[in-house]
Amino acid sequence: MAKLAVMQRGHPSLQFSLPPSSLSDFHGVRLSSRHGRSGGLAGDASATKKILIMGGTRFIGVFLTRLLVKEGHQVTLFTRGKAAITKKLPGESDEEYSDFSSKVLHLKGDRQDFEFVKKASRQRGREANEVEPILDALPNLEQYIYCSSAGVYLKSDLLPHFEPAQGKLNTESLLQSRDVNWTSIRPVYIYGPLNYNPVEEWFFHRLKAGRPIPIPGSGVQITQLGHVKDLATAFIKVLGHPKASKQVFNISGSKYVTFDGLARACAKAGGFPEPEIVHYNPKDYDFGKLKSFPFRDQELEWTPEFDLVEGLADSYNLDFGRGTYRKAADFTTDDMILSKTFVLQK
Amino acid sequence: MAAASTLFSVPSSSCARGRRRVSQFRSPSLSVSSLSSFSSSSSSFVSSFSVPGPAFSSFSDVSSSSFSVFASSEKKKVLIVNTNSGGHAVIGFYLAKELLGSGHEVTVLTVGEENSDKMKKPPFSRFSELVTAGGRTVWGDASDVGKAVGGATFDVVLDNNGKDLDTVRPVADWAKNSGAEQFLFVSSAGIYKTSDELPHVEGDPVKADAGHVAVEKYISGLSFGSWAAFRPQYMIGSGNNKDCEEWFFDRIVRDRPVPLPGSGMQLTNISHVRDLSSMLALAVESPAAANGNIFNCVSDRAVTFIGLAKLCAQAAGREPRIVFYDPKAAGVDAKKAFPFRNMHFYSEPRAAKEVLGWTSTTDLPEDLKERFSEYISIGRDKKEIKFDLDDKILESLKVAVTA
Repeated sequence: MAKLAVMQRGHPSLQFSLPPSSLSDFHGVRLSSRHGRSGGLAGDASATKKILIMGGTRFIGVFLTRLLVKEGHQVTLFTRGKAAITKKLPGESDEEYSDFSSKVLHLKGDRQDFEFVKKASRQRGREANEVEPILDALPNLEQYIYCSSAGVYLKSDLLPHFEPAQGKLNTESLLQSRDVNWTSIRPVYIYGPLNYNPVEEWFFHRLKAGRPIPIPGSGVQITQLGHVKDLATAFIKVLGHPKASKQVFNISGSKYVTFDGLARACAKAGGFPEPEIVHYNPKDYDFGKLKSFPFRDQELEWTPEFDLVEGLADSYNLDFGRGTYRKAADFTTDDMILSKTFVLQK
Repeated sequence: MAAASTLFSVPSSSCARGRRRVSQFRSPSLSVSSLSSFSSSSSSFVSSFSVPGPAFSSFSDVSSSSFSVFASSEKKKVLIVNTNSGGHAVIGFYLAKELLGSGHEVTVLTVGEENSDKMKKPPFSRFSELVTAGGRTVWGDASDVGKAVGGATFDVVLDNNGKDLDTVRPVADWAKNSGAEQFLFVSSAGIYKTSDELPHVEGDPVKADAGHVAVEKYISGLSFGSWAAFRPQYMIGSGNNKDCEEWFFDRIVRDRPVPLPGSGMQLTNISHVRDLSSMLALAVESPAAANGNIFNCVSDRAVTFIGLAKLCAQAAGREPRIVFYDPKAAGVDAKKAFPFRNMHFYSEPRAAKEVLGWTSTTDLPEDLKERFSEYISIGRDKKEIKFDLDDKILESLKVAVTA
């Protein structure tokens, strides 16, 4: 196993070589090494870095990529090449988009096989065995930033007290054991335009249809949402930051919100009237495989620059409110709940 | 792999770098989750970046157990104007002890009469401890502090008594006129406007008509060298004048059900009073840093009603019998039937951590064990207690009192 060297901050990235490989196909443009350039948030990521993002074409990656390019970094997206690597955002001009997309390099291939030297930035793999080949391939990796999924659940009573999903822990222990300069970021429920995990969308569908919002239990269960743009900014912050070394970061925001509160915030964000909230006991129903609510009960996680209503409005205005959504509305479970005579009303 | 033991977004230990007044705590922070196996060995930390957006706040330094604070070594003359009853009474008692222990000169002026019945209850019944420690205890009127303290003057005046301007103004005015450099006011986290989002952080909107709000505004305008207001919630600790954990112990030791309103998932702050005392003491010792700030005077953990019931039962070595009820349906006033507000009521001590370098030491599981020992040692488990409201609740739920 290669010993990973931690580069000094501020030095330009090393030049890299592109080895022959039958599985990878490099669609990139500029292959020469770059020297450091100034620019960057808060002066910490001042040197231009070469950033490799595993995936990065959806949701978080979309915003992160834009921010990184804006900061002057050279971004390469490593994908299987099935879909376009960039897409124009709602609200983005053609000019802005083409300027951005022309700067993004694409590396198409199987993530198990690639071997050139760059600085990796983000990993969506959940398992440690997906991470190893990357670490092996990048002996001069300056920093490995790992984004845990939002799989952190609250243990109900004393707060907070989370136990991350096992896969995540294995990855973190691997990173630790390989003496990599790693940083782990744990976001919470991420929301925002292009959210493929329909959190806010679930509420927007019902508000738009003028339907009551069925919320399990008392509705005082709390959760925490983070806006995707804030998460992207968080990545920038940890980039090259010496104090981020070997640290786990929870994207912590100011506030939690109750389930009832979230329904109200979504209504406010979309300009809807105060919603009718219906509470019910999920144990009284058999929903089969259908999901009756987008959150698991008593999730606890966490909010920032985007004030909740502001952030939801951002999501609404740039996505759902324009008629775009990922998952079509399905009110099957709602109707089961509403048809029962002993629905608990608060 | 160790599970993260961190609380919410507030790092478990932090240092105040500099004496910036922090007026806004809405900006997001990246807090370090203290997985012990991944702790960095850095002993310094970074305060928030000024760029809006997610920012680094203090990094948790798991390995170090001490932190540096810009403390002044000057000894001060401190006057604590203390209430003669209620949950806040014990704050003055602990603070007096702490300041005396640090070598400051402390006078406690308790409002009212020395020989009143109220003085037979804790913490007043233990005021001899303050005298033994070198403190002075006097009694008198808040409206004439000068007379009550026999013309003495002080460097620091803390009002831990008034809830409105009428009661605090004379104290503040006297403090200003007699040359006190620093004025501290114990306010209340109860003045925060209810919100769907929690916790309450310093800077959040407060109820405009709350008495404490008027006081905070008034003292901020008096041009003291340093002023600060502290907003507490609920406290536990020996010498408490008001029941807190006892409410749970009373039921648990008698094998009675513990009735919780609503879902029982409402969050609240239960702090050990030593946390409040240490925060106030830090403000006394770092007046420049404390100046102009509102501090949520609470521990950095929240607990649900269910959680607290379970922890109390655990401390008592028993299993709790928890039942849930709807106060309306049971025909009881939740304010009388239950010791805490029937809603999420949870604040975070962000300002104290940022500005004073304060850390919380409340440890409910451990602290409740100590509380339970005292509960037994004073024989309260044998006391005859009426549970009229409980019985009414249980009747409405058709729950048997005895298991």
